[in-house]
Amino acid sequence: MYQASGLNAVRIVREAEVRADRHVLDRLWEEPTTFAFVPSNLALTEDWIVASLALIPAEYRREHFILMTSGSTGQPKLIVARKDRAERLAAAIHVAQDGEPAQETIACLPLSYSYSFVNQWLWAHHLRRRLVQTDGFTRADELKAALDAAKEAMTCMVGIQVPLLRQLFGTHRFPGVIRLNFAGGRFPQEHLDALHEIFPNVRIFNNYGCAEAMPRLTVRRAEDASSAADVGFPLPGVELRAAADEQLEFRSPYRAVAVIEGERFRPLDDSEWMVTGDLGRAAENGSWLLLGRKSEVFKRFGEKISLPAIQAAVQRVWIGELAFYRETDTLGENAHVMVLAPRPEREQLRAILAELRRDFTRPHWPFRIESRDQLPRLPSTKVDGGALSERGGVTVEWSQQY
Amino acid sequence: MDNREKLRDLLTDVLLLADEEFSLDLKREDVETWDSLAVVAIAAGVEETFGYHFTPEEAVAATGVRDIIATLERKGISFEGA
Repeated sequence: MYQASGLNAVRIVREAEVRADRHVLDRLWEEPTTFAFVPSNLALTEDWIVASLALIPAEYRREHFILMTSGSTGQPKLIVARKDRAERLAAAIHVAQDGEPAQETIACLPLSYSYSFVNQWLWAHHLRRRLVQTDGFTRADELKAALDAAKEAMTCMVGIQVPLLRQLFGTHRFPGVIRLNFAGGRFPQEHLDALHEIFPNVRIFNNYGCAEAMPRLTVRRAEDASSAADVGFPLPGVELRAAADEQLEFRSPYRAVAVIEGERFRPLDDSEWMVTGDLGRAAENGSWLLLGRKSEVFKRFGEKISLPAIQAAVQRVWIGELAFYRETDTLGENAHVMVLAPRPEREQLRAILAELRRDFTRPHWPFRIESRDQLPRLPSTKVDGGALSERGGVTVEWSQQY
Repeated sequence: MDNREKLRDLLTDVLLLADEEFSLDLKREDVETWDSLAVVAIAAGVEETFGYHFTPEEAVAATGVRDIIATLERKGISFEGA
């Protein structure tokens, strides 16, 4: 449907419509029409979308596109971007990720995510490569068939999908996948050997960015660093800096031009540094290291706690999922609770505790370790931070006692 | 589970000990995780497990497993054979 009638209407296209007719996006991209591509699985009313799009000034109603994103709270916001900029970014990613040999891309994430949209849909459209749509891991048989049929294929995943590969496909191999990109969360550095077994001919890349960057800022080859926190070097034209309190900021010639959030349209000024929401610092070789989200680094008993550093240590011995939520402990200090999924065996828990003891002093240890059958997730696949602390279905595996 | 086993489990949990590290002769200086916060955690764990609330002086004075046992035995909690 269109947000408004007339020449300057914004076309709303849902994920399901694209699944039914893959050429809808091709047509909308080539037309001057500005369109909003929104997920099918978000519980957003058409009224909310229409009301938000009504805020868009006339000059943004041609040659732009709009994607939706949600933070860990699940509050939606719309990101307005320019088609020409996104095309240049898709081309830059193609070069940075040695994409030339890839002849097709297999989509196993919703295409309406900025990551999948630019790295896959737009890459395929702009470079005239084949796009294979799937419903991802929700229909594992279909995904397996697509990966089996892959010929010189590229695909994009998020780190949380890696354990599913082993769980659903066992020791099956997919030799036709030659490029594998990760973004949208922690890079699965500790699973590289397993990934090379599953995809024996693959070259793996770590992508970093944020929705406002639409969406890439840096790329690195998996083998070029040993830490998941290393996101590599900025793409050509992208600038990064660590501002006050190590807040990572960027400027980019590809970035979004406006944001609609909280019933407000906010143009983004190209000359301004924008926050990524992460903390970071430059390494000596010029690559960038993520120190965690701002909310993931805090003081506890006077010590600086980094949840990503704790996660990295634990994931040396824990292959399942892991997330944190924050609370205040019984002594009134900031504290963090670690949530594992699925429930660990006793020996696995002992191994996790041994890693914590080996690498950290007590203030860094979680106040509690809990487990669930699976982590609660938002439709965007991000962990649902609000639901994580709800008590239903939770087992306390270990606690600091006090 | 007898009281000795309960105390072993408590200290193993609080101090993140490997099973073979625990002994009745374990002292605070033997294990780096027996820090000031561990003293608080042990006191809370003792109350939860044995129903006795250490005074602050008792908690600080307990510098080894045998000190904890001695304090609890004075309160009538038996560790016979320990």
